[in-house]
Amino acid sequence: MGVRPTTTNASPTQREMYQKSNTSSPSLVGSLMKTLKSSNSTRRQSAGENAEGSTYEASQRPHRFLARSSSQNSLPLHHGRGVSHIHMSPLRKSSSGNSNTQKDRQQHSHSQKRDKYFTDLDEDWSAVIDDYNTPIPMTANGGIELKPPVSVGSKKEHVDSRSPSAGYPSLPQLNKTQSSGLKSQYEQENERELQELNSLMHRVAKFDEILHPSNATRINLSELRRLSWNGIPMIHRPRVWRLLIGYAPANIKRQNTLLQRKRQEYRDGVELVFSKEHTRDIPTWHQIEIDIPRTNPLIPLYQFPLVQQSMQRILYLWAIRHPASGYVQGINDLVTPFFQTFLTEYLQAGQKDDVGNISPDTYLTYEQLVEVEADSFWCLTKLLEQITDNYIHGQPGILKQVKNLGQLVKRIDSDLHEHFVHENVEFIQFAFRWMNCLLMREFSMSMVIRMWDTYLSETSLESTSSAAAEGSSMTVASDTSLQSSPVGAFREVSSSTNLQGKHSAVLTSHQTSLSEFHVFVCAAFLVKFSDQLINMDFQETITFLQNPPTKSWSESDIELLLSEAYIWQSLYKDATSHWR
Amino acid sequence: MNTSVTSIKLVLLGEAAVGKSSIVLRFVSNDFAENKEPTIGAAFLTQRVNMGDHTIKFEIWDTAGQERFASLAPMYYRNAQAALVVYDVTKPQSFIKARHWVKELHEQASRDIVIALVGNKLDIIENGAERKVAREEAESLAQQEGLLFFETSAKTGSNVNDVFLGIGQKIPLKTAQNQAQDGGRGSSGLRINDDSRVDLRASNGQATSASGCNC
Repeated sequence: MGVRPTTTNASPTQREMYQKSNTSSPSLVGSLMKTLKSSNSTRRQSAGENAEGSTYEASQRPHRFLARSSSQNSLPLHHGRGVSHIHMSPLRKSSSGNSNTQKDRQQHSHSQKRDKYFTDLDEDWSAVIDDYNTPIPMTANGGIELKPPVSVGSKKEHVDSRSPSAGYPSLPQLNKTQSSGLKSQYEQENERELQELNSLMHRVAKFDEILHPSNATRINLSELRRLSWNGIPMIHRPRVWRLLIGYAPANIKRQNTLLQRKRQEYRDGVELVFSKEHTRDIPTWHQIEIDIPRTNPLIPLYQFPLVQQSMQRILYLWAIRHPASGYVQGINDLVTPFFQTFLTEYLQAGQKDDVGNISPDTYLTYEQLVEVEADSFWCLTKLLEQITDNYIHGQPGILKQVKNLGQLVKRIDSDLHEHFVHENVEFIQFAFRWMNCLLMREFSMSMVIRMWDTYLSETSLESTSSAAAEGSSMTVASDTSLQSSPVGAFREVSSSTNLQGKHSAVLTSHQTSLSEFHVFVCAAFLVKFSDQLINMDFQETITFLQNPPTKSWSESDIELLLSEAYIWQSLYKDATSHWR
Repeated sequence: MNTSVTSIKLVLLGEAAVGKSSIVLRFVSNDFAENKEPTIGAAFLTQRVNMGDHTIKFEIWDTAGQERFASLAPMYYRNAQAALVVYDVTKPQSFIKARHWVKELHEQASRDIVIALVGNKLDIIENGAERKVAREEAESLAQQEGLLFFETSAKTGSNVNDVFLGIGQKIPLKTAQNQAQDGGRGSSGLRINDDSRVDLRASNGQATSASGCNC
């Protein structure tokens, strides 16, 4: 028991480390990037629609300037729905790790597991992934294998390397790299950051292009979905989320009218529900009331009375309008990413990251706050429409997801599953919360928001029945194969395994339900800790999983997780077709 | 009898926001947080207590209080040897809920389960707020139903440890007797045995039949 099969040629997850250090190293270029991000959105903020063209240009220019130095590298970021982020190094068994096997040993122990998962992949799979996995450092450095850069003074890095539990290998090569010449590392680091800047500019420009098509009246949602899968720039996120979740229509001309109408509808709804004619549902009101101060207690934003009142109105109105489920704890968590994201629309560019700390009344009017509230309400409604079964009596949706997770883990990591059985660890003991709160309790807010970029791209329906009922967005459906029967198409099992997702038709057929994709994310999350869990008894396991070591997770960790989930989903979609 | 560790599986039940998680946090970490996120599903914690010549290890399942999660409760209390039924001394509604839990435990849980009725948030009363659940009322319920009874404040720590000590004192004797009488009966043995873990099947069966997926 407990002895795991080992594979000798596990390759260290070079790119993983590489990305990690890359994202967390502060530098000149990094701050330049921030400035550019900022100026871009400031102008947008103040100048409105007409200025967008020039903003677009502004973001294009540096991109062109930089394009030559790193054009190859910006490519993978825009392809393949996150696959580029996956360093499937275990697949490329022969590639790296030949020079410093000794030092990599420690990492091997971490990657052994993953290696094992992918052993049943056929050659074609690895070939495809290899394409999209063209190592950035190699192209930047004439094919010489790169060590991760030394990130001087990077606290995050430091924390990461001290917590192997986060699933990442430590960076034993640091010393070696140091001795091999600091100068070249800084050069490399700089170059990488230029590449990062370049790709960011490129992304911002891409989003601008999609959101403001020059010769069309409709936003190409498939394209937007494809692009958003890999993350949405903060300046675009509010708009893109409203589109992806099916709240704002793709028809640009109708957007304002519809949003105004929905916001008015919300205001009317609130007025009615809080008027004298409406009898207050005391138990529901009371339950929400006691949960409001307990929602994100560590984020100052949710302690401001103004915000708490907004939350309470949103949750109460939603509960009243959805009597079959009513208010269920956890829904209070689910509204906050929307609320917070929509608030950033009103913040100065440099302050957007600080949305969790600033009282909204310092930067927006009450009317604007109510608009944020209304948008949050409608988007929450759209989100919960997809997972209604999670919150109705008996919570059958959650129980089914937990069961599916168990079956999935049995397939992808039978050792772990067996170990759980042996230790009497039941999935429901730790996974109930994962489902009920969509892993929100497991990650920091910024990571959750990044996750939702992908969730909304992967799963939401732009043409749900209610959107169609609006009479305003019937045309939306013509974009996709979901036209006639969104739900029917939704349930269709896609037989295509086109990971690159170049065609929107393929993308659409890839679209899965939120609860389905989420199970794959949970599975990817769980098996990340497999090496640790396998040595834990019942109590250690439950304690560990209740408080998983995710504090130091960065966006690239989340992106890796989502990509792994996507791969699992592609691999097991036939085996799990009965979930639907 | 040796001095080895005795494990007690204990479950906390009670209305939402009466302070179940705070009682456990006080007992396990001697800590308090004013606003704790609502518990979803259930949380698991352990704590060891030395009682004279032996050690008791509490394996605590702290359940979610909201009514919607109540269907999960049976799998947590089914094989528990002890239960804390918690209410808020300033919320009469929470005492009604506590009565329901006591009733349900007597009907559904192990026959030998030791139940402690716990009125929490005593500190609010001490700070001048109005008491809404009379001590006498709770005491009489405890007497009728054969429960231990405590009034606590997780915030100040008042009486919290006594609850667990009280349970610890009551259980080893009972379980020792049971061991002698009908040793292998399982559910209330000295050690937490394998099948005394949370049982999924009960609530799951309900779910699968509801969702119509029997695969």
